[in-house]
Parts: sequence; structure tokens; C-alpha cells
Amino acid sequence: MLPKYYEFSCPVKILSGRKAVANLPHELSQLGASKPLVITDKGVVAAKLMGPVEAAFADAEMSIGYLFEDTPVDSSNHVVNQVAKLYRDKGCDALVAVGGGSVLDTAKGVNIVLSEQTDDLLKFQGVDRITATMQPFIAIPTTAGTGSEVTAAAVIKNVDLGAKMAMVSTRLYPHVAIVDPAMMITMPPRITAATGMDALTHACEAYYGLQKNPVSDAFAAAAIKLIHQYLAEAVEHGDHEDARVGMANAALLAGIAFSNSMVGMVHALAHSAGATAHVPHGVANAILLPYGMEYNVAKVPDSLAEIAGMLGVTPQLDKTEMARKGVEAVRSLTATLNALCGLPLKLSDAGVKAEQLESIAKLSINDGSLTYNPEEMDYQEALAVLKQAF
Amino acid sequence: MTMDLKAMKLKAATGLKRTTSHISLLALGITFELTSRYVPEMQQEIADWEEGRRVTIGVLPNGPYMTIQKNGDRIDYLGIGKHEPHLSILFKNLDSAVMIFTGMLGAPAAVAENRVCIHGDNAKAMEVTRAMAIVQTYLFPGLILNKTFKRPPKLTSSQLATKAKIMGLLTPMLVAKGMK
Repeated sequence: MLPKYYEFSCPVKILSGRKAVANLPHELSQLGASKPLVITDKGVVAAKLMGPVEAAFADAEMSIGYLFEDTPVDSSNHVVNQVAKLYRDKGCDALVAVGGGSVLDTAKGVNIVLSEQTDDLLKFQGVDRITATMQPFIAIPTTAGTGSEVTAAAVIKNVDLGAKMAMVSTRLYPHVAIVDPAMMITMPPRITAATGMDALTHACEAYYGLQKNPVSDAFAAAAIKLIHQYLAEAVEHGDHEDARVGMANAALLAGIAFSNSMVGMVHALAHSAGATAHVPHGVANAILLPYGMEYNVAKVPDSLAEIAGMLGVTPQLDKTEMARKGVEAVRSLTATLNALCGLPLKLSDAGVKAEQLESIAKLSINDGSLTYNPEEMDYQEALAVLKQAF
Repeated sequence: MTMDLKAMKLKAATGLKRTTSHISLLALGITFELTSRYVPEMQQEIADWEEGRRVTIGVLPNGPYMTIQKNGDRIDYLGIGKHEPHLSILFKNLDSAVMIFTGMLGAPAAVAENRVCIHGDNAKAMEVTRAMAIVQTYLFPGLILNKTFKRPPKLTSSQLATKAKIMGLLTPMLVAKGMK
């Protein structure tokens, strides 16, 4: 059924496939830039993933203006202001982010500071508060999960307030996303599995959530099919280029889908499990996705039955039965990943303590993602789901 | 002459939407105040709000707006207008606001249709949204609640009595505060 009203946006130019990173200087020149500040982290440098990026400039009529490689795991307002100062001091004219979610979010935060000429991100917390024309920005993901290269959101920690600030604006979209398998080939199996399940959760929650629409559905469905086809392969054979490209595209497609249709209770619970018990986001999503789907079966059986079909479930006459088979298909996938790389199947296996469940439940009902979940979920219900997943 | 008539009709329609929004915001603000006094689930909901939290609900770009504030164990309606809010929940235009205020559209659907902007902390916005659902429960008839809530509330006889009491208090307060 079509929604009575919907909005959709994705202005990002996408470059995908072998040697895509080699086009970085050309894309920068197309944006009128010639001296980029590159943001990355120590992990990316240690994995030698900066090699292809630096090689791209070898025969270019431009060079990297400055390389910032100290992005922390949780990006902060202090780091953002530090990088923005470097950008101004070095006379840079574009941002290039090479890394996972934290690096890309840092770059988005830096772009707000530079473009809005501020040092206080707090003023831009919320939705649609950024109005300035942004600096040229190119994202090169090194994981296939967050989809940050095509999303309009950034989460930055405010270390002064001890709180996370979420900023959502179509101005935050990168101008270009470069998805190159060479940037993901060294990703370890367990991170490949967790980030892949993150992408699957984005796609599924976008497909059955309240904000679903026919355009985001198309992206989510394509993502789910690619994940069904390639995730286990990418985990088992990390050097399988087709599997890496498949998963990179799945994450990107899921990112476009959820940037427009948002996510639901699985993310609300996963964010809270991360904040309370430091469960990696993809791991928490992998554990909680089947429980979240199960929770919504009665409310959206049709959408969940369609997802089941994308996951290879044989068609059933009864939609609810088909939806339940879809939940089983996700459980079967996570069991396979568990066998391949030890991806946890229960919260207790991911380091969550029983006494933390109440805190996680309390936090999760204040998570904005819950708004888009088809079924209502209160504190007691959140706690019940967490206990099942424990 | 035709153009003048068209312009007049547009102006009148906009005025009607603004008046509807103004009265609705007034009713919303007063009902926030009343539910915080008489409804236990509202008292429980706002218990964790920090003292002095000011929330503005309104319509972009030209209003109207109304502001409430947490004082002690209750919510006070500060009046029409923005009063230096910590958090703002803003409808993108008068049409969106009227759809929500008249019960044509529920809060979850309004958010899903991108008709609302949040300025401020999203977690606090969730707390306010839950409180607003309680306000709507005591303000709107069951018919509208059934249509607009994900899970329509089922009121006990005691809650129905409280709802009747709030409705009884609302009209004179609307007149009194609306005159200010």
C-alpha cells in the first residue's frame, strides 16, 4: 500500500567497483577542489588502506592538503573543532573521509563547523537546522555496514555535556561516495559479519517501518537480496572481490533506504545496548534483529513476508507464517555467521550482564528510532524482548 | 476583482488555519498542565524531566507557538509564544499542524511523513512525545485516538472520570487564558 505522503532524497554521486578510488582526484576537481583534508583513523592506516588513496594522487594535478589520522572510536566535538582548525590553517578546500562510521561522522561534523562558521555543534542538534552551503565532501567507506556514505545524519559526542548529539539534515550528504572493494578486502571476518548484519538490519527495518515508501523499498529490497547472496561468502572468503563489492553495495543501498525510511525498535535497543554495555552496534543488531522482526509480525505481516521471500524462503499461503519463516531465515543466517566467525547470538555472549537489561530498556524507549517502529513498545515490553535475546 | 477575491479567500483560509492552530496549542498547553495535576501516568512520565525544562510546540515559519515548563512535580503552561525553549517541536507548515490538531493525522504518522522538525535533544523529544500522547488521550475523543495511535489507549472507569474532569476544567481555562 502506498503511503499517503512521503519524501525521498539521495543527492550522492556513487562510484562503485574496482579501482574506484583512483577517480578521487578527478571527482575533487569536478567539485572545484584541489587541496583536500583527508580524515581517517589509526586502524585504517595500520591496515594500509591509505595506500590506494595516496596512490590516486601520484599522477594528479593536486595533492593531499593534510592527513588527519587520529579520529577516535567515538567522534567528539573537540576532535571536530580540532580538524576544522587544521582545515582552515592548511588552506584546504575539500573534505575526504576514509574509514568507518566514526570517521565519516567526524567529517560531517567538521563540515557543519566549517560551513556554518561555528565551533558549537550543539546549536545544530536536531532536524533540518543546517542551512549553509557545505564544503565539498567525498566519503570512502572501509566497512560495509553503516551506510554513512549515503546518509544525512551524524552522531557526535559532546564531551563537555557527556551526551551524544544527533544532527540530521540533507546538507550532510557527501557529494560523492566511492565504494572500492580494495578498501574492504582486509576487513576481518567478524567485523565483516557484524557490519553486514548492521546493513541487513537497516534494510529490514526500513522495509517494514512506518516511514517506508516505494522508493526506499526498492533500495531496501535490493540490499536484502545482496546480503542474502554475499554476506556469508564475504565472511568466509574475505578476498572474494565480488562478495566484497556485493556487500559494499548492499550497505550503501540499505543506507539510502534507512536514511529515508529510518529504523525501528531493533536500533533503539542496539543503540542502548551499545551505550550501556559497549556492545558493538553491528553485533547488537545481529542479535536483536530476529526478535525485533518477531515483535512486529502481527502488525506488518505483509512486509515481513516479502522480506522472507528476499531471504530465499519458499512462498507460503499464509502471510504470517511466511513472515515467521523470514525470522527463522535471519536466525539461520546469524547461526551460519556464528559458525564461521563466532558472531554472538545472545546478548549474554556479547558481554551484557543481566543487571544491565533494565538500564538498556529504559534508555531504548527514549531512542528516536522507536517512533518509526510499527508496533508500540513500552519499557516492560522492551525489557521482555531484551530478556528473550539475553 | 477576481484576483482580489482569490487573495481574500487565501488570506481567510490561512487565518482560519492559524486560528485553529492557536486554539489547539492553547488547549494542548492547558491540558499538559491539567494532566500533570490529575493523571498519575503523566506525573510518572515527567518525574525524570530536569527542573525548568521548557518545551515549545509550534508552527513554522510564523507561528503560532506555545511553551510549557517543568516546575517541581508539574507542568506549567507559559503561554502562547516561544519562551527560550530547550527543545522545540515544530510543524513545517500550518496545513501539517491543522491535520495533527484536528486528529486527521497521529503523531507517529506526522513524524513518518516528515511533517515535524525537532530542534534539540532527540531523547528529550521522545519523552515529550510520550507525554503528549497522554495529553491527547485526555483531550481527544476515542474515535480519534483509535485512528491516530499505534496502540489506542483503553481507559479504565477511573481514567474516564479523570478525562471528564479535565474536559470540564478545560473550557473555562481556555476562555480565561485565551483572553490574556
